[in-house]
Amino acid sequence: MRVQIQRFKSSLSQWRLLAVGLLAYSLAPARAADEFKTAIAPILMNRCLECHNSSEKSGGLDLSTRQGLMAGGDTGPVLVPGKPDQSPLLDRVVDGEMPPPKLGKSQALGDDEAERLTDWIGQGADWPEKIKLDAFEVSTAKRGGRDWWSFQPIQRPAVPVVKNPGAGTIDAFVHAALEPQGWEPAPRADRAVLIRRLYFDLVGYPPSFDEIKQFSADESPLAYDRLVERLLASPAYGERWGRHWLDVARYAETSGYERDQEKPFAWKYRDWVIRAFNQDMPFDRFVKEQLAGDELAGQDESSVAGTGFLRLGTWNDEPNDPAEYKYERLEDMVHATSTAFLGLTVKCARCHDHKFDPIRQTDYYRVAAAFWAGPIEPGPRESLGGPKPEELSVSNVLGWTDLGREAPPLRLLVKGDVKRPGEVVEPGHLSLVPMLDRPLDPPAEGAKTTGRRRQLADWIVDPRNPLTARVWVNRIWHHHFGKGLVRSPDNFGFTGDKPTHPELLDWLASELVSSGWSTKQIHRLIVSSETYRQSSLHPRQAEYASQDAGNRLWWHVERRRLDAESLRDALLAADGNLDRATMGGPSFKPVISSDALEGLSMKDAAWTASPPEQQRRRSVYLYTKRGLLPPMAVAFDFMDTTLPCGQRDVTMVPPQALALLNNEFMHERSAGLAKLLMAQPGGLETRIDEAWRRTLGRSPTDQERAQAVEHVTKQRQHLTGLLAARKQRMESVEPVAGGLVLHLDSSKGLEQDSLGRVVRWGDLSGQGHNASQGAEVARPLVVNASEAGGLPLIRFDGKRTFLELGGQVLTGPSLSLFAVVRDRGQTTAHRTLFSNWNGAAGNSTSSIFLGTTAEATVRLSDDFTSSRPLTRGNGLFLLAAVAGAEETSIFQGSQLLVRKGGKLSPRRLDTLYVLGQQGNIQGEWWNGDLAEILVYGRELSETERLRVTAYLLARHHLAQAQEADPETLALASLCHVLLNTNEFLYLD
Amino acid sequence: MAKQSGGGRYFPCGHTRREFVWQMGGGFAGLALASLLEGDGFFSRVARADQPASGAGPLAPRPQQFPAKAKSVIFLMMNGGPSQVDTFDPKPALEKYAGQPLPEGKTYINSGGRKVGYLTPSFRPFRPGGQSGLMISDFFPKVREHADKLAVIRSCHTDSHAHGSALVAMNTGKTIIGRPSLGSWSVYGLGSENQNLPGYVVLLDKRGGPIGGQPNWSSGFMSAAYSGTLFRPIGDPILDLKGPDFIDPHAQREQLDLLARLNQEHLDQRPGGQELAARISNYELAYRMQSATPEAVDLGLESARTLEEYGVGKQPTDEFGRNCLIARRLVERGVRFVQLYSGGGHLEETWDAHASIETNHGQHAAEVDQPISALLTDLERRGLLEETLVVWGGEFGRMPFSEGKGEPGRNHNPYGFSMWLAGAGVKGGTAYGETDDFGFEAVVDRVHLHDLHATILHLLGLDHERLTYFHQGRNERLTDVYGHVVQGVLA
Repeated sequence: MRVQIQRFKSSLSQWRLLAVGLLAYSLAPARAADEFKTAIAPILMNRCLECHNSSEKSGGLDLSTRQGLMAGGDTGPVLVPGKPDQSPLLDRVVDGEMPPPKLGKSQALGDDEAERLTDWIGQGADWPEKIKLDAFEVSTAKRGGRDWWSFQPIQRPAVPVVKNPGAGTIDAFVHAALEPQGWEPAPRADRAVLIRRLYFDLVGYPPSFDEIKQFSADESPLAYDRLVERLLASPAYGERWGRHWLDVARYAETSGYERDQEKPFAWKYRDWVIRAFNQDMPFDRFVKEQLAGDELAGQDESSVAGTGFLRLGTWNDEPNDPAEYKYERLEDMVHATSTAFLGLTVKCARCHDHKFDPIRQTDYYRVAAAFWAGPIEPGPRESLGGPKPEELSVSNVLGWTDLGREAPPLRLLVKGDVKRPGEVVEPGHLSLVPMLDRPLDPPAEGAKTTGRRRQLADWIVDPRNPLTARVWVNRIWHHHFGKGLVRSPDNFGFTGDKPTHPELLDWLASELVSSGWSTKQIHRLIVSSETYRQSSLHPRQAEYASQDAGNRLWWHVERRRLDAESLRDALLAADGNLDRATMGGPSFKPVISSDALEGLSMKDAAWTASPPEQQRRRSVYLYTKRGLLPPMAVAFDFMDTTLPCGQRDVTMVPPQALALLNNEFMHERSAGLAKLLMAQPGGLETRIDEAWRRTLGRSPTDQERAQAVEHVTKQRQHLTGLLAARKQRMESVEPVAGGLVLHLDSSKGLEQDSLGRVVRWGDLSGQGHNASQGAEVARPLVVNASEAGGLPLIRFDGKRTFLELGGQVLTGPSLSLFAVVRDRGQTTAHRTLFSNWNGAAGNSTSSIFLGTTAEATVRLSDDFTSSRPLTRGNGLFLLAAVAGAEETSIFQGSQLLVRKGGKLSPRRLDTLYVLGQQGNIQGEWWNGDLAEILVYGRELSETERLRVTAYLLARHHLAQAQEADPETLALASLCHVLLNTNEFLYLD
Repeated sequence: MAKQSGGGRYFPCGHTRREFVWQMGGGFAGLALASLLEGDGFFSRVARADQPASGAGPLAPRPQQFPAKAKSVIFLMMNGGPSQVDTFDPKPALEKYAGQPLPEGKTYINSGGRKVGYLTPSFRPFRPGGQSGLMISDFFPKVREHADKLAVIRSCHTDSHAHGSALVAMNTGKTIIGRPSLGSWSVYGLGSENQNLPGYVVLLDKRGGPIGGQPNWSSGFMSAAYSGTLFRPIGDPILDLKGPDFIDPHAQREQLDLLARLNQEHLDQRPGGQELAARISNYELAYRMQSATPEAVDLGLESARTLEEYGVGKQPTDEFGRNCLIARRLVERGVRFVQLYSGGGHLEETWDAHASIETNHGQHAAEVDQPISALLTDLERRGLLEETLVVWGGEFGRMPFSEGKGEPGRNHNPYGFSMWLAGAGVKGGTAYGETDDFGFEAVVDRVHLHDLHATILHLLGLDHERLTYFHQGRNERLTDVYGHVVQGVLA
């Protein structure tokens, strides 16, 4: 029906055409051009050009020029001037076939549009020759053109005149939008809030109670500025803001994929970033070193480390199709570069012209050509997709460079299809800023590289580039306020958000450039504004929120949840453990529970946590392995490391509460804090006050103190009962008997020679595996140690002493082994306590042994190394291993060090068993003491293991001090609560 | 925000629900954290129609886009790549061609540069199963009894011959890491029915995780709330479910009560602090998860008969049997997406039968055949099969020729392989698509993994073209710009 009506209309138009006559148009070409521009061109541009343009030509039809229109498509002519009813184009449009439906929704032209087209064709389809339609010229309802706001030159705006007398420059822009509404900004936040805000914002951890007190009492008008300057000058500033940049740079230290290899020296890039922030490296230089640190005059190790930016992407050493994979790598570099510096989604133009922004497919390849000149071919596996050491001018740096001054031509891929190479695209810039669109210079005389990346960087930091300064000041604003002036910090294009205050954005951008690209200067401007110093609460909160819930007018400061790093650093600061002094260098590997290691394909080999002293380092130094991100950081929205990320999610999910309630790291913090408090003089109330000060930076209210006293008292009572009952249970416990094949106890059955050395040590298991040593020089000494509760210790000297066991101790693959030992350290890399290794008998890879390593990890046979080091100390400890058909676990005391699924591979068990060295090799000597050992020829159940553990811990007085003290534990319970509070987790 | 526990005296801290809601900022209804965000320009301008109402939590149940039967998915991932010509794609012609090379013109990437042998027939005979007579080999005699429930897609093909990238592709649609996985898209689209359990659970093989690890169940650029949660089949199923021994439930309840009180006082001074209020509730939710999750994996609550059916307590079926039974318990409790891995680590620990099909598949099929069969029976018996989609398959298939002359193993093959679907909305007893005579490459009704993903989403009532997530300027989809629903397997 609709079609018939349209047809009727079109025939009417024809009559009208005859009446008016073509002559009228030809007599007035200027007017015809105007008509075309206003009436027809918008329809073609809005509705047709997305698919029918000179580069895409869907169906062979190009509707961007008159020639294209007249040439028609694959099926022939689409239009006969003057004859709408013979013009297939019109049929398809009127039938609603074109533009095609999207997601099931008709895109048919409105009657008005169809009528205009019909009229136009009827009147001869006049299209002034000169006019080539360019879909990118102007923005429409569906896409952005070159007139899009973010592509216009940055103009330094005049500062608005506002009524509020206290307003600074930033505030003037903000007030200028508030005042017409009759709105007031929120009052200034109080000093305690401000100092906490400034600390977390600028250095990433909380101020101490004393600092808060001092600042709150400082009446000087300069106090605030002095604090700002002190924090900006602190090296911790670079660690805080460097981390923000690492998100944008998709920083990680491994390649991802199957092998997830470490990228050696990735941390040098991280250190370069931190240094750059601390030195306030001009942002233009910051860009240049990252893109072309190897091409700059005066390049050195530091500037080349900057090019690590180009090396941080994921890297697959076994891509399905290496030819195609090159283009994936190009996309990574183009995407990282254009997102980080330009806030544009250039990668969307990889397969076709950008659907929303004026970025042509050729633009994508122009930029990509800058990286094409480097080692983009999948080189040797060990190069991890980068230059070989001899190709890079400096060594021991993760960097990038060109492979020469010439690069192979780069062909555009039609529809991104590697099998359809198209035209060669010359290196160049995005065409969306015509003023800056010029071809690149050829490489300079004698240059070793193409100079393309340097010229790309120069273009990016050209003060006339409309994006770079805007994008960067917006990122700075974003991290100060939790939201940007542009709420989509990585996307300044059509699908991004428009600035809340475009003039303020431009003012800050022009300040950045005129200050010599000083980032710290922008910080100063922002944090000294009243807008930044507002309270998070407004007296008319509900009213304002109902009208501007998104706070686009910046009428208050928004409450923010601490990010993963600030949270961890603040927790460490609370119990006085945060190491702020150790800067830079290789990252530390956090302790990750064995449960969380399940996801690795080679889990036991893949993760060894760094020593405890390193676990106190700031979170920016957390080792970032793509296949295994630290679980607690992930729970708190750590970035996904595969793509640049200018804005982290802030989620609220139960695993966050579970982590804060139960994670071992949290309990270490609360126990540590409780210990600190206990060490101080004063009673419970004093300690409670101190707990508040150390966690929340203030003293408790009377009500809170009373609640805390009640809590600690109740917990203490409860824990006293609990611990007493447990102690009793532990002391009355006897070791499990079933399956015991070896039991040596230093207080029983010892036969010594005249020098007090062990000749024989009787096995109490009844299996007759007595220990003995015939050779005098090899006999371990018996020493009495008071710390061991008066029980003697068998001391192995780590050089030559060991004991032989009688008979075959083990007969099957399952076992449980418990030994109370002291490990006196690394005389040799490997130190073995119990072993049946015998090379001659051929079990060098299939013996059973238990020992420790230089890294303080535990080895249970060659199959199995613990992923988590022993807690070092000088004292005795219980080392336990349980190996069964389904899983194998190693414990220190009652704490699990590692658990691995699957049983040990088959063992050869019929060789001589010894204590104190690696079987018969005369090496890997145990250097330390043995007080008691129990070996079971089967896998003990969890309950049985706990029973033997309890027996040994009680017998050798190894129960940890903290567990025995209800007072400290009750206080720890309170600290735990405080570390879980919203007040701790949120920033007002 | 779901319902509050009856046991807790506090909501969340001594207030009635009504008082609580009232205090959250003068008469706003429900705990609509999202209203803050949704009023914001950024969230409102972009296409976020499919975004959850975050006030109810990211995993709050959401309606399907169109009516469909499947409410949950159990994805049985045969890690390593099972051989199609030895399991679900009978190729009698291989008997004829045995000992000959694959004809020239059939090009392929020889993954890992391994030896190339001759065409080799199935190592075990195929037999018809059920009324449909669907042909299934003797590697899966018990699954064969369910032939009438299965829709075998024999024409699957994928984009990589390497385990790492093929696994990531099967899970996320692309060989490049960093995209959200199928399970993430499912919970993003539909939320989950039980807020006391994670909505997307992954159970790994004890021998190890899949090559590539985390990216296989990652939520990629989506919020981490949609990522898969690893469940341990024994002990505490998820991380941080329990604190140290001395914090018993009584001590912890006291802590939570004090916490709630302190948080409430903090909130009282910050009217309208919805995120603060939501976090107070979040602790109560976490508290409930501490008991709900161990219960969900507690097989002590199952009858001896059920345990026996799944092969729990017997080898070699114990582990996968446990996992299948846990999967049933999870979907029964409203978990949206459960993925089980058979095979973990590398090579022969997985279905990666380079050395010998008979030995490798003999072992792995024996581990899973009875448990899968029991799972299908059990789901059906409980009426759960009508609303649960079961998916079986690996990251790719294997070559029809041997790895080396006269050798009993086969190399990787991304060009043609079999997967099967069963349960909600699936046309049982179906063989869809065909490989060539050799079982080398899909030739008839080819099904790319994007098509498979589109079909799985379709069965869940999600349109793969409309289920989008706005990220960095683009409405991202699981299937990128590809994918067609495989109509031939729909009931």
